[in-house]
Amino acid sequence: MIVATHLRKQFVVRGKPLVAVNGISFHVKEGEVYGLLGPNGAGKTTTIRMVMGLLEPDEGYVEIGGMRTDQHASMIRKELGLISTNDGVYPWLSVREMLLYFADLYAVEVPIAKERLEELAGLLGIRDFLDQRCSTLSTGQKQRVTLARGLMHDPPVMLLDEPTRGLDVVGSQTVFEFIDFLKKRGKSVLLSTHRLDEAERVCDRFGLLHHGTIRYEGTLSDLRALTGKEHLVDMFIDLIQSDRTQAPISSSMGAA
Amino acid sequence: MQEYFSNGRLGRLCLKELRESLRDRRTIATLFLMPILVYPLLSMAMQRLIVGSVRGTSEKQEYLIGVADEDTAQIVNNSIRETQRAINAGVRPSIDIVRSQSSSSKKLDSAGADSDNADGDNADSNQRDDLQALFRLAMPERTSTSEALKDGILDLAVIQAKQTDVPLRDGQSIPVFEFELQFREGDLKSEGAMLEFRKAMQLVNDYQAAMIRGPALPAAVQLKATSIGTRLDPTASLAGVLPLVLILMTITGAVYPAIDLTAGERERGTMEAMIATPAPRFVLLLSKYVAVVTVAVLTALANLLASWITLSIGGLGRALLGEQGFSIFALLQILPLLVIFAAFFSAILLAMCSFARSFKEAQAYLIPVMLVSLAPALVTLMPNIEFSTWLGVVPLVNILLLSRDIMTGSPAPLPAFAAVFSTLIYAAAALVVASRLFGAESATAGSQESLSDLLQRPRKARALPDLGELAIYLAILFPFFFIVTNLTGQWVTEIVPRMWCNALVLLLLFLIAPVLFVWYRRLSFRNTFLLDFGASSCSKSGRFGMLSQLGWLISSVLLGLGLWVIAFELFKVLSDLGFGALSLERSESLDALKKQIRDIPFWMFLLTSALVPAIAEEFFFRGFVLSAFRHRLSAVWSIALSALIFGVFHVISGSVLSIERFFPTLLLGFALGLLAVRTGRLWPGIFTHAIHNGLMFWLTRFEEHELEGWFGKGNQHFPVLWIAASAVVVVVAILLLWFSSLDRSHENVS
Repeated sequence: MIVATHLRKQFVVRGKPLVAVNGISFHVKEGEVYGLLGPNGAGKTTTIRMVMGLLEPDEGYVEIGGMRTDQHASMIRKELGLISTNDGVYPWLSVREMLLYFADLYAVEVPIAKERLEELAGLLGIRDFLDQRCSTLSTGQKQRVTLARGLMHDPPVMLLDEPTRGLDVVGSQTVFEFIDFLKKRGKSVLLSTHRLDEAERVCDRFGLLHHGTIRYEGTLSDLRALTGKEHLVDMFIDLIQSDRTQAPISSSMGAA
Repeated sequence: MQEYFSNGRLGRLCLKELRESLRDRRTIATLFLMPILVYPLLSMAMQRLIVGSVRGTSEKQEYLIGVADEDTAQIVNNSIRETQRAINAGVRPSIDIVRSQSSSSKKLDSAGADSDNADGDNADSNQRDDLQALFRLAMPERTSTSEALKDGILDLAVIQAKQTDVPLRDGQSIPVFEFELQFREGDLKSEGAMLEFRKAMQLVNDYQAAMIRGPALPAAVQLKATSIGTRLDPTASLAGVLPLVLILMTITGAVYPAIDLTAGERERGTMEAMIATPAPRFVLLLSKYVAVVTVAVLTALANLLASWITLSIGGLGRALLGEQGFSIFALLQILPLLVIFAAFFSAILLAMCSFARSFKEAQAYLIPVMLVSLAPALVTLMPNIEFSTWLGVVPLVNILLLSRDIMTGSPAPLPAFAAVFSTLIYAAAALVVASRLFGAESATAGSQESLSDLLQRPRKARALPDLGELAIYLAILFPFFFIVTNLTGQWVTEIVPRMWCNALVLLLLFLIAPVLFVWYRRLSFRNTFLLDFGASSCSKSGRFGMLSQLGWLISSVLLGLGLWVIAFELFKVLSDLGFGALSLERSESLDALKKQIRDIPFWMFLLTSALVPAIAEEFFFRGFVLSAFRHRLSAVWSIALSALIFGVFHVISGSVLSIERFFPTLLLGFALGLLAVRTGRLWPGIFTHAIHNGLMFWLTRFEEHELEGWFGKGNQHFPVLWIAASAVVVVVAILLLWFSSLDRSHENVS
């Protein structure tokens, strides 16, 4: 569903070029949860933005369902849902108004949007405060509204950018359940996180990102065989240490 | 894109933005509380100011009367001395007692009034302290008394004074006076001077009537007072305060929603989710823009009503704005002005706020903008500022001066037109800038990137200009065009240089500048300017054979031959209906022009009035403008809008506003637009345009009596047969155009 090929993005920070993403390739199949893992600054958000079509890659391209993002930008956006750390809500709108607003932004027909709203309200447990102003909601409630918002247009591909950052155990649990739900629905999920323990629980495959390149890629058992470590955390520590000795490790294993 | 404009979706998007701003208490506060507080306070302050300016600090008011020469001064002095006599004699009229004092013909230059050292015979009058008015005489040196009065140096001007001594039976004689005076109407001080002088003279009348009861005597003093137009009017500056306050309040109303809906969206963390949707940024911004303008207009309405009520109740309106006060009519004229202004400033605010990443940053950007825009706004409060032509294209200032003039009297039509039209264009351009800035990805790259996109030369070549580029080009072109045509209209009075000048301006602004612009933006010359000469080419407009080309040629010539008669008649009918009667001097100058026109060689005439306008205007209006519209809109809308712009530009001719030219030009614009769209070529339009202009101007070379052979005696119009024949020619031309443009290969045009 998602195919990223040799993505590269360079920024200019205070006059110096900084390569945020350096030639990464990966693919996510239908019904698969792909974990894009890495410490802060590894290039996760930049990658997700390029997949979204919000950033134009300097090199390489992304295909969603066979369409390239640089050619079918607005069509592809209908196929994508995005939920990220910083997502907020509109304090002066009710939950219903906000969700229907996003349905309109995705050009969903009104009757379909209303139907979907009812379905999501039951699913995410937001029915009780549908007509409440968003400013009166608790953090947990807001988070569930955000998750519902991402599904108002029922996209086949979901991008989750650090969805659990700043959430407590209950909040994180809601996100996991949400991801399970997405998987059951056969959606492709690209999850970026720096919480490796969480990733181990929900992802089918992983890409370990460091300094803008994918260092290891595969399922958990692939990675265990490759690195000889039991947990992702250990693999990362290993990776960071090997980095200090400047040993290049094979990259771009998952080029489709 | 289309799905966002159908099924009421755009309306719902706008509704969301409106809900967001109107549910916010801060918006409501500026909307309703501010006007309720501001206007009563303002009216109190003004009342004090006006009372202060009229009464002065001392209770005795001094008035300066201007006289032309020593003789007049003597007569005025005599009349005032008579008043003195009346007071000394104990005449107690029902009206106020007037003390008079004359400093005999004090010299005064035109630059400044001197009223400090009262010299002369005021010794006796000093003894009386029950007097209220004081007249001083002054003789302007380098200017007439009327002029000095107009400039506000004098309060009253004596135009003529006559004194006749009428002998009485007892050998004595009494003086009889005749005065012709001028005062400034609407100026409280001058009106006060007139009133006090009248009272003083009434005293003389009463005195003489009481002393000498003779039936044969004429009235002792005959006064004839005329008012002059006010040029310097101290209340005019106060009248300028009201528009300024209204505009400021409109801005205030728009500021908060503008920040909240843009920078606030970032701050709340909803921006990214919104940008990630397929909704085009322009649609997002448009919905926000509609909301901001709505709030601004609501604020303007609330303020207008509050100010209207305050001014009507307190009677302050009459003191500020003259007899009629703040009329409902003025209110209805100012409201659309405020709407236009709201449309303009909301776009500016959105552009500024889209740049900002947070509420605080947005405020930091806005404060300097507000201050910078306030500086010229304060200039409009200066009493001597006239709403001159070139100020018509200065944003903000034009709306302020126009609303001031609407409140106090009648605004000049040309700057008024320029003010409205230019503000609308600026609003469109600012909206374009805002939509480029809005939602620009700032997470890592910085928001400068997208602004530079707008200014820098694009890297990729494109076929056609977009509407944004059109708006920006028009926003630069219109003020330039307006000022240049005005200056040439005023400075270049000789016909020959003027015609060369006009042709040069047309070439520069409508041909060379657009060509450079198209080159800079890497647009295709061929597509933008419909440059296809070959018999069969251009994938966009289909394949046409030689026969089609011949058809176009004939139809363009026929259109040129037929249209001008209809356009001329339309022009005549509109002029007769009074559309052209905006300026009196015009018909005279036209007659003078006609004489000069006959002396010009015909080739020069054809070059400057037919060929150059045809080429330049076709390149711009049917090339650049029409192509920009065609990029997004249907053929019908593109033709209509480009014809509208074509018409509006032609209303400005020299330094006058010719409304009567609008409809004929609009008609021509439709025909030329149709021609360009049907053929996909520019050249047929150039043919039609050149023939049309050539014939039209050729007609102006004839004197009326020479045309009698055609028009019939005493008739200024074409015979009906002519008009009918022309209509038939036009219809035939259009039919021919239609059939010759039927695509014979794969794709239909239009």
